[in-house]
Amino acid sequence: MPFPNVRLSNRPLHFIYLCDCSGSMAAQGKMQALNQAIRQSLPGMAEVAEQNPEARVLVRAVRFADGAAWHLAEPTPVQELQWRDLEAGGITAMGEALELVAGVLQSPPMEERALPPVLVLISDGQPTDDFDAGLSQLMRQPWAQKAVRLAIAMGHDADLEVLQQFIGPEPSGGGKSPRRPLQASNATTLAQYIQWASTAVVGAASMPASRLDDTPQDAGNIPLPDLPPTLLDPVDDVGPLVW
Amino acid sequence: MIGAAHRRQGKPCQDASQVCQVGPELQLLLVSDGHGGSRYRLSDVGSQLACAAAEESVAALARTLSLQDQDGWRRQLAQELPTAIQQRWLRAIKEHWSSQAASADEAFSSALYGCTLGLVLLSPDWWGCTGIGDWDLVEIHADGDARLVNQEQLSNATGEATLSLCQSEALDAWSTRVQLQSALPTTALVLCTDGVRKSCATDGDFLQLCQQMLEIQGEALVQGLEEITAQGSGDDVSVAIAQRSEPARRGKAGVLTALGAAAALIAGALWWWPKAPDPLALEIQQLCQHPERIEASLKQRRQQFLALKSSPAQAQALLDHPERDPLGALIASSAPGAKAEPKICPALEQALRAQWEAASETQEPSRAPARP
Repeated sequence: MPFPNVRLSNRPLHFIYLCDCSGSMAAQGKMQALNQAIRQSLPGMAEVAEQNPEARVLVRAVRFADGAAWHLAEPTPVQELQWRDLEAGGITAMGEALELVAGVLQSPPMEERALPPVLVLISDGQPTDDFDAGLSQLMRQPWAQKAVRLAIAMGHDADLEVLQQFIGPEPSGGGKSPRRPLQASNATTLAQYIQWASTAVVGAASMPASRLDDTPQDAGNIPLPDLPPTLLDPVDDVGPLVW
Repeated sequence: MIGAAHRRQGKPCQDASQVCQVGPELQLLLVSDGHGGSRYRLSDVGSQLACAAAEESVAALARTLSLQDQDGWRRQLAQELPTAIQQRWLRAIKEHWSSQAASADEAFSSALYGCTLGLVLLSPDWWGCTGIGDWDLVEIHADGDARLVNQEQLSNATGEATLSLCQSEALDAWSTRVQLQSALPTTALVLCTDGVRKSCATDGDFLQLCQQMLEIQGEALVQGLEEITAQGSGDDVSVAIAQRSEPARRGKAGVLTALGAAAALIAGALWWWPKAPDPLALEIQQLCQHPERIEASLKQRRQQFLALKSSPAQAQALLDHPERDPLGALIASSAPGAKAEPKICPALEQALRAQWEAASETQEPSRAPARP
């Protein structure tokens, strides 16, 4: 009998975008910039997935405006993903988006052997529904607690406080940190943040190493890679100040 | 077995495993998994020292506690033995740290060597286990029924978090992993680091895998472990297996009647045997099959080359226990003037020679005569 004669499996890594598609995203090219940033990040993400065959990177996306719905409902291997543009229009049902994601982070359908998921929340404004209820429902899921949660604020009208609540406890000390909302003021910076989240963070989450069960609250689950230096001061970084 | 991901990244194997005899009728299975990440950069050493500390502690206990005193062993497995193992391990890692060049500039932290540790004790009448961290133990009965009888269960664990040997505050957690039960219904025990179970699609597949391991040994087991990590989690994978031998034939039992029950008991007692291939040969095989790893592996042991160069007597300790540090044993066996150099591939031979030459050059300045 050949050995091993059982089902061996690499570990799924679920990467979920939660995208603000409210009416304000139609202004100043923000929606186009987001679509472009995600589309352009896919080859890099696929390359990271190839370099880490022990992880199976599966992408999904939620859009939220008047309500929340799956833009990409089926967990799609990143190598096969073709991004369909999001469209803007409506208000900001961010809480409902979190509830939607909470549903798929239950076990099942989450697999026993899954790697900690990566959730990226992107918004330019304030939630118009019950954000607290949505966040509460999300964080009741153990897989949401284990997840790497990132947030990107597009422009200066985004509600940084709710984005921080989504990420988790604010890290001690000042300065830029991936555990604080990443503020993108223009298309270039947005694209760099999306690239970082979809490559460096996915790379880190793909090879989680066992660690002590004593990590401080603000340190998160996966040790996150540093932000590239060019992103540390986005306000006076490359590209015009747009948003 | 080094994980496929670690091999690709040029990282060492952070697992250690061992099977040994610690008394006339007591055997021991050990697995230890060093934590990953830059915070735990010496965890490959930590896991090896953990196995050594466990073996020494159990051996010391076996000299004073009768195997018949099952209650006593159960108490020891819960409290005194964990304390003894952890203290031995802390002494060993501190000693190792003091030999590191970085110790001059960096503060010591036991987390650097952080690892899990699982141990199973095997006596004629009972088997027992204890430990800390995310190892798994599967028990298999004569009818083929396989069950996961011991695993880590943390209520608030996030992701890949696990308890560790370096956490003195976690000593109480060892007691939650203590089991001691009659040996009779058990046909085999399979002790694994977490990389094995994580490589299987489901727990059902994992149990089936453990059953299959009983039919495999030597090279087939090694190759199987390679495939498990390559197609599965990519993590290091280690197993220690104990299996009951066939009972004595009726004719022989009839002849030995005079010795009677004692002989039968003894024959029945000696039912465990190790299933690990020769660790030194395995290490050589792995390096020669993956020559791109040779330089990085030997470079990390530069201090060991220097230590053996200046104190050749240390080599014997490494050669006597190759299972604790297979690479160290290989280095010791390749030392200039060694009695019996193992057969190795040219790439490995060349790399070892280069390291010994570098070690000689490093020592040369100290031998230079003082200037007047």
